[in-house]
Amino acid sequence: MAAAAVLDGTPAVVDWPDRYHHVDQILDKPGPRTDPSFLAGNEVKDFLRNKCKILVIGAGGLGCEILANLALSGFKDIHVIDMDTIDISNLNRQFLFRPKDVGKPKAIVAAEFIMKRVPGVIVSPYYGKIQDKDDDYYMQFNLVICGLDSVEARRWINATLVNLVDPENPESLKPLIDGGTEGFKGQARVILPTVSSCYECSLDMLNKPTAFPICTIANTPRLPEHCIEWASVLEWPRVFGDKKLDTDDPEHISWLYTTASARAKEFKIEGVTWSLTQGVVKNIIPAIASTNAIIAASCCNEAFKIATSSAAYLNNYFMLIGVDGVYSYTFEHEKRDDCPVCGGEALDISISKEWTVDRLIEMLIEKQDIQIKKPSLSTTTKQIYFQAPPQLEELTRPNLEKKVSELIEDGDHITVTASTLPFNLTLRIKYV
Amino acid sequence: MSTDESQDIDSATTAVQQPDNKTRRYDRQLRLWAASGQNALESARILVLSASATSNAVLKNLVLPGIGHFTLLDPATVSAADAGNNFFLAGPASVGKPRAAEAVPLLRELNESVQGDAVIKHVDDLLADDDGRAYIRGFSLVIAHNLPTSSLDSLSRLLWEDIGDPPLIVVRSAGFLADFFIQFHEQCISQPHTDETPPSLRITRPFPALLEWARELDLDNMDPTDHGHIPFVVILVRIVDDWRREHGGALPATSTEKQAFKAAVRALRRKPDEENFDEAEAQAWRVWAEPAVPSDIAALFTLPPLSGADAPLSETTPNTAFHALLRALAAFVRSERGPGALPLSGALPDMRTDTTSYVRLQTIYKDRARVEKALFGALLAEECPDVAPHVDPEELDTFVKNAHHVRVLRGRRWGAWAADRAAVASSLEMVPRETATHLALNALSTLLNEGPDGSKVSAEALTEEVQKVVGEGVALPSETEDAIGELARAPTAELPNTAAFVGGLVAQEAIKMITRQYVPVDGYCVVDLVDSWTGLVGR
Repeated sequence: MAAAAVLDGTPAVVDWPDRYHHVDQILDKPGPRTDPSFLAGNEVKDFLRNKCKILVIGAGGLGCEILANLALSGFKDIHVIDMDTIDISNLNRQFLFRPKDVGKPKAIVAAEFIMKRVPGVIVSPYYGKIQDKDDDYYMQFNLVICGLDSVEARRWINATLVNLVDPENPESLKPLIDGGTEGFKGQARVILPTVSSCYECSLDMLNKPTAFPICTIANTPRLPEHCIEWASVLEWPRVFGDKKLDTDDPEHISWLYTTASARAKEFKIEGVTWSLTQGVVKNIIPAIASTNAIIAASCCNEAFKIATSSAAYLNNYFMLIGVDGVYSYTFEHEKRDDCPVCGGEALDISISKEWTVDRLIEMLIEKQDIQIKKPSLSTTTKQIYFQAPPQLEELTRPNLEKKVSELIEDGDHITVTASTLPFNLTLRIKYV
Repeated sequence: MSTDESQDIDSATTAVQQPDNKTRRYDRQLRLWAASGQNALESARILVLSASATSNAVLKNLVLPGIGHFTLLDPATVSAADAGNNFFLAGPASVGKPRAAEAVPLLRELNESVQGDAVIKHVDDLLADDDGRAYIRGFSLVIAHNLPTSSLDSLSRLLWEDIGDPPLIVVRSAGFLADFFIQFHEQCISQPHTDETPPSLRITRPFPALLEWARELDLDNMDPTDHGHIPFVVILVRIVDDWRREHGGALPATSTEKQAFKAAVRALRRKPDEENFDEAEAQAWRVWAEPAVPSDIAALFTLPPLSGADAPLSETTPNTAFHALLRALAAFVRSERGPGALPLSGALPDMRTDTTSYVRLQTIYKDRARVEKALFGALLAEECPDVAPHVDPEELDTFVKNAHHVRVLRGRRWGAWAADRAAVASSLEMVPRETATHLALNALSTLLNEGPDGSKVSAEALTEEVQKVVGEGVALPSETEDAIGELARAPTAELPNTAAFVGGLVAQEAIKMITRQYVPVDGYCVVDLVDSWTGLVGR
C-alpha cells in the first residue's frame, strides 16, 4: 500500500541548476585510475539518475545511512526492504527515526523521510521479509546493497543472486555490496555473484558465537552469563513449556533477570544485571552512528563507482578497526572452488566408517564453513534423513542411528538441503 | 566486605525495573563506553567550523550519541550546490539562507537532549580579537573542515599556545580523497579497550592467599573430580613454586626449560580429559612473559607532565589527576609495602573449574585487589597531597583496573610535520601512496587559498607545489600522479559518500578524545576512496 502511495506521488521536483555540482566534477571527466570504458558526461548521468534501479536490504543502522547517501549521490529509483519496526534503542544511530516513530515499520518511515528531504528521489519500501520476493523481483535491479545484522538473511540473498546469474544474459549478474559493523569495527565488500568470492565462500571468517557448554550452565556456573543462559535455555522451557520466549518482551526479560539473579545468588556469583541479561539473550552487538556511517559510506561509494564506472571499485574486501587509531585493511578474498553456493565442486568430507548419520549431521551443524541448522540429507537414489514434512521425518528417522557407511559407498555424493537456505550442498564422502 | 557482596546480590533481586528511556535509547553505545564515557560526551561543548556536508556528517554522528552542546560557525549562505549534497539542509528551500542557521535545527532534531546554535561569522573575525579568541578556547573540542590555510594557520597556532587549549581536528577533502589530523597537547587514556595486553594474574608473584592455596593442594590424594577442577591459575602457581625451589629461585628462561616446565604440568595430569591441565599448559606463557611492569607503562613513570618535570602538580596542569595517578603507580611499584608489580586488576578470566573453586578464586583476587587499591590510594595521598583529595574515586578505580595498559599520547602542531623535509622524504619511501596523497592535499589547500573556486588548480600546479615542499631534488613516487590527478579532476567536490565516510571517521576520533576511551589516531589519517584504503603518515 505504501508503494502505491509512492507511485501516485510522481516527482514534481525537477533537478535545480547546480544541484549536482559536486558529483558532476567526478562524472564529467575521468581520473588517472578510471577505466577507459567510463562514459563521462551526460550518458553516465542519465544512467545514474534516470535508469539505474537499486535495492537496499535493511533500513536499520546501515540502511538509514545507505539510503541518504544514495539519494544525495543521484540514485533516483531506490527500493528498500526491512521486516522490523522501530525500537527506542535504534534512535542512537538510525537517524531517520524519531521517538514518535517507535513501533512503526522501518522501511516505510525511512522511505518517507528520504523522499521528503531529498526532492525527486523515489524510495519504494517493502515492510516484510526478503524471502517473500521471487527471482523476477530481484531481476529488476542493477545493484543490491545489504545492511543486515543476520547471517541467515545474508546467506539467503547471496545464494539467490548467485542462482540468478544466467551466463547468456549479462544483465542477470547483480553486484552485491555487503556491510556490517560491531562497535568501532566494520567491513564492506563487493561480491560479483559467480565471478568473485561470495558470502558463502567466506563463512569461516565469521566469529564463532559464544556458546557455553550445557554442562557448565547446568552444573558448574561461574559467570553471570552462565546463570542467564540457565534461565533462558533450561528454566524457561521447564516452567513455560511450549510458550516461546520473546526477547523483545520486557516482561520476559524481567522474568529471566529475576530467575538468573536468584541462581547467581545461590552460587554466590556476582554481576547479573538487566542490561547483561538482555545482551546475552538477544545477542546484542554494540552499535554506534559513526561506525555505521563509515561502512555505509564505503558501500555506497562502491555502488556509485560500479554504477558509473567513474573509478575502480573495491576488489573485494575492506575491513576497518577503529579501536586503536584508524586501522584498515583492503584485500581480495579468494573464491572457494568447493563453495556450496558458487563453487560448483563437491565438498570433500572424510569421516570414520563407524559414524552414524546423526553424528554426520552434528558435524555439519558445527562446521564453521557450513553452518547449516537443520540439514536434510539425500542421494540421487535415496532419502537418508529429512527434517520435514513430519511423515517423511518419521519415515527417515531410523536412519539416524545407522552408520553412514551402510547407506553410502566411499566416494559417493550426499546432497544436503536446509529450508532456510536456497541452495544445495553436495558432499563427497570419504571413509578414513 | 562480605556485607558488600550480599548487598550486591540482594539489591539485584529486589524490584525488577526496566531501564529508563535514556538508558534504553543509548543501550547500544553504553555497552561500549559505559556511563563514564556517556557523562564525558554530555559535558562536551564542540565548535564546528563550516556547515559543509562533511562537517554536518561529523556533527550528526556526535549529536546522535548525545554530546552536550555544539556550535556551528559559518558565514556562508546556502548555494544550489550545497542544497544538492548536504542532507542537513532543506533542499532548494534553504538556498540563499545562512548555512549554519539552516543546518542547526535539522541536526538538533536528531536528539532533543543536545543543545546547538549557529554563529553566522567568519572565524577570522573571532581570531581578530581577545574575546573571540577566548570564545574559541572555551570549547572542549574544535573541528574544522576545508578551512582556508590562512585561517587554519592562525587557528592552529592559537590552540597550540597554551597546554590547556582544546584539541583541534583538521579535516580536508576533495573528490575521493581526504585526510584529517588531531592537534592535541596530551591525551591520557585510562581505558584504551585494546585487549592485546591481558592483566597479570600474578602467577609468578603470588599474593599470600593464592600461594597458600597452591601449597596446600594435596595433588596425590585428592578426590579425582576435585583434581579435574583445580583452576589453572592455582596449578601454575604450584608448579612455579616447586620449580623455583628446584632451580634456586629462578623461573624457566630457555626454550628447553620452558618445555620442561610444560612437561611438569602434563606430569601432574591424572586423566587425559582433565581440561584444567590443558588450560594450564596453554597459559604457561604467563610464567615467562608477564613482566612486573610492562615496558610501555614503565616509560610513563619517567614522563614529565607538560607543565615541566619539577613543577608541582596543580589544578592548572592538564590531566592533573592522571599524572598524580601515574606518580602513585610508580610509587606503588617501588613500595616495600606493595607487590613490586602493578596493582592487581581483580579481573579473572573464565576457566575450567567448578563453581565453588571459581568463586573462591574470584573472592581472593577481589579481596587482594581491594587491599592493593587501598595501598595505592594511600600512596597517592603521600605523593600528591594537594591533588589526591580531588581525584574522583571512580577515576582511581578505573585507573587501577587498567594500570597494565593506560596510555599517554603527546601530539604535535598541525602542519609541523610537512616542514620536516627529512621526515617527509623518508615517509615518501616508506609509505609512498599515503605520503603522496597527504602532500597533494597540502598542495591543493595552498592553491585553493589563492583561488577558492579551484581556478588555480591543475595537475601541473599541484605537482609544482608538492615539489616545492619536498625539495627540488627529491623524486616523487608514481603514486603522486594518482593523487594529484584525482584532485585536479575534482578540486572543490564534496562527494556525499566521501563526506559520510570522513564524517564517520572524524566522529569516532572525536568520541575517543572526549571520552578518553579508545586510542585516537596519532598522525595524519589519509583516505583514498578510489582504491578504498586508509593510511597514516607523520606519526
